[in-house]
Amino acid sequence: MSGLNPSAAAQDPIPVLGLAATPLVPESDAVLDELVFDAVSRALREAGIRKQEIGLSVTASLDIYDGRSISSGLTNAASGGYLAQSYRIEGDAGQAIVHAAQTIAAGDADLTLAVGVYNPEVSAPDRRAFLQQISNHGFEPHFDRPVGLSAETAFGLHTGYAVDSGALTEEQLAELAAAEISRGAGRPRAARTAVTSADVAASAPVNGVLRELMLPAEATGAIAVVLGSLGRSRRALHPRAVITGWGQATSDTTAGGQWLTDPAAAARRAGQEAYRRAGLTEPGEQIDAAELTTSTPALLAPTVDALGLAKGDTAINPSGGVASCFPGVANGALRLFEAVEWLEENGGQAVSHSTDLLTGPVAETATVLVVEGV
Amino acid sequence: MATRAVIAGVGITPASSPRKQTSSSLELVQEAVWGALQHSGATPDSLDGIVIGNIDGFEGTVLGAKHLVRRLGLGPDLPVSILNTGGTTGGNLVQVAARQVRAGDRRRVLVIGGPTFFGAEDLQSAINTNSPMIVEQPLGMGAYHMGAFYPSAYTERFGATVEDFAVSAVQDHEHASRNPYAHLRNTMTVEDVVSAKPLSYPLTMAMVCPVSTSANALLVCAEGTTEDLRPTPVLIKAFATSSDPYLGGGKNDFAAMENLAILAQKVYQLADVRSPREEIDVVEVFSPYAPMQPMQLEALGFAPPGGGIDLIRSGATRIDGDVPVNLSGGPLCTNAGVAGELAPIVYVALQLMGDAPEAMQVPGARRGLAHGTGGTFFQFENLAILERL
Amino acid sequence: MSTPITTQRVHWDLNYDVHLGATWGRFMQGLTEQKILANKCPECSRVFVPPQAYCESCFVKTDEWLELPPEGVVEAFTVAWLGFRGGPKPPYAIAGIRLDGASTLLMHYVGGLDLGNPNTIREQIGPGTRVRAVWAEERTGQILDIAHFEKI
Repeated sequence: MSGLNPSAAAQDPIPVLGLAATPLVPESDAVLDELVFDAVSRALREAGIRKQEIGLSVTASLDIYDGRSISSGLTNAASGGYLAQSYRIEGDAGQAIVHAAQTIAAGDADLTLAVGVYNPEVSAPDRRAFLQQISNHGFEPHFDRPVGLSAETAFGLHTGYAVDSGALTEEQLAELAAAEISRGAGRPRAARTAVTSADVAASAPVNGVLRELMLPAEATGAIAVVLGSLGRSRRALHPRAVITGWGQATSDTTAGGQWLTDPAAAARRAGQEAYRRAGLTEPGEQIDAAELTTSTPALLAPTVDALGLAKGDTAINPSGGVASCFPGVANGALRLFEAVEWLEENGGQAVSHSTDLLTGPVAETATVLVVEGV
Repeated sequence: MATRAVIAGVGITPASSPRKQTSSSLELVQEAVWGALQHSGATPDSLDGIVIGNIDGFEGTVLGAKHLVRRLGLGPDLPVSILNTGGTTGGNLVQVAARQVRAGDRRRVLVIGGPTFFGAEDLQSAINTNSPMIVEQPLGMGAYHMGAFYPSAYTERFGATVEDFAVSAVQDHEHASRNPYAHLRNTMTVEDVVSAKPLSYPLTMAMVCPVSTSANALLVCAEGTTEDLRPTPVLIKAFATSSDPYLGGGKNDFAAMENLAILAQKVYQLADVRSPREEIDVVEVFSPYAPMQPMQLEALGFAPPGGGIDLIRSGATRIDGDVPVNLSGGPLCTNAGVAGELAPIVYVALQLMGDAPEAMQVPGARRGLAHGTGGTFFQFENLAILERL
Repeated sequence: MSTPITTQRVHWDLNYDVHLGATWGRFMQGLTEQKILANKCPECSRVFVPPQAYCESCFVKTDEWLELPPEGVVEAFTVAWLGFRGGPKPPYAIAGIRLDGASTLLMHYVGGLDLGNPNTIREQIGPGTRVRAVWAEERTGQILDIAHFEKI
């Protein structure tokens, strides 16, 4: 090993020491904590670290998907939390990774772990209806919920708005979706096979102009990430990359309407924070690849632009992004996983971006990580 | 750049039963938030983050906090972190806010605990959804049934009687009667507690927390950035959590709070506390069932095993004692869910700032301990040591 | 003046198919055959019932299965005098039972007690009381395949 020497511009470089995922499949036939244990124990093994050395475990999950209030009670021991420091955030795994990195930057631990788990406790045939029902429960109870708002409806509204405002055509939506799905197809974690834009346009209509293949490719499983302080990481088995920046931001709720006109506002603010930490001044030139959570083709351009990647030759969603595989609230860890694997092949710097899709583009909490190859 | 985190403002709303409450959740939270800002003297535009908790199934919303925070008049841009670790959510909110500050990511974070138990028609059945389904849930385990296991085991080990357990309820009520924000402010005798309606052996209705509605908020800031704020800043000196396994059956001993004792050891190490009874001036423990309190005081090192009840009887835990406990009246007199879990930290901070209501202020308190617990069979514990700067 | 509208009923109605997993699946299968199956940590040798897929302390997968006798000792107990919607009809007695050979407690009902008077409970049962499982006549692979435990 050549030693870890991340760029000096980064405020607190935090190496990634282990990264592991369970198989990402349409429905995982295991209890949630078994999925968490599988991902966590493999990530620890890869990092050469024992559970007892971890200073903090942060789990990302959502009670209502899990069918239990305080579902972290079930998964906590599997995250390494038995007689140890741990907690759960409700939201996307990107947030858990930010918390784990912050804990090291705060000087509160040398080794931390973040894990996201997603396996909605409803069998696959009823999955879509269930997720939308839950999404509806995630909207404001007195005004939004009674009128049937759900993530799909909000995405449909935004996409329709984009088409009506001339930002892009229905044909372009299909082309963009087909390109992403096909780019990811055949890769180890792809949930969809290659398609043409005609296939996308012919897939089942879901909401407004949105077709099934324009929406994220649902998958289930758990993904775990082990992080270390720079000092401790120099004694780790096989550091895979270095997180040099992180940021988190939340967008406005339904009534503000920002989600229609500026749907990537949270991504922009999170990106600015992350770039500041990483010491990046020209992201468009300095970032070689970006793994984004662009849940519809209409969100691609706004997100790329919000992250300052519109000019330059950054590879966008080399894995096919969420159009190829979207493991729910574990997604933030998958986006990092894909970015790290890209860096291991190509070197340079990458960005991963994630949000939960509970209420679509409304009131989303976005996280952005800047990652550097080793 | 790593820095230290301080508490520099708190807001508390008076509590009442859901039935008598005329404000909405949003209005209560708003009142607590504006209370914290007013107490601190911070302007809304000086905030750079919000950390808030909710417990989905109890509230009838999924991540209801998402929508709530945007209706507080704090603008549409503040980043929001939502936590849910059941009964320890309140403590963890402060941990996460402190971490954001300690990591240098934020300078002034608003921490919010709202009225979680506000609306559910049958709270016991909502709580039952967190008991291990498949193996323990079908057995009709609600929160107070879980709460009854400890005293039944403690009785067997130490010979404690229902009259013995009643002493902490009597004391909590006495303290609550001095706290203008408390929900139950009536005083009780041992006789009153013992003769109350039996619930789950050996608990009586008077040994179990009420369902309250109220909200709490506090402001966590970077050390050295509070010159423009009014209160004496209170340092978050040490914070840690510890967890038991999921199934209640995974505990080794119901007559001792082993997980809490392990955690206390850890936190005392972090804060360099050698002799807790001598070095800690004020304590708030989360004891929604009266019999938990003496056991917690034992685990925290204030009394030997089996000595918690004698400690309370000795008067040491009263306002004029050497280690005042639950001067707020604790969750036994006010429990509004996440707001109630945040309360121990809020009240300890208020004591150390010297800003507690006069009738409950411990003169010159410099170091305090705030505790939280929750989850199935009180699986999760958290503990903070706060110090007046 | 008209009365202000202060509350609105909000309803949740969600159905779940909760995944049982291989470990609990095997335990439930055992119950249908009147067997209480436990498993063991290969490092610390603790015996788990209900079984666990992994040991939370050693953080390794459990590997060995064994059958435990349907008898054990009450270590903690309580009686619920009040119920809750959808729950069992009160009063009912619940115990934490250490089955012979187990490192963990199994939670279950205790039947055959006179729960008419709160003041006579401790005479009937307490920590140390030995109990035995009473099997349900119809067993479908759920924890209530053991109808309850009763004093031996």
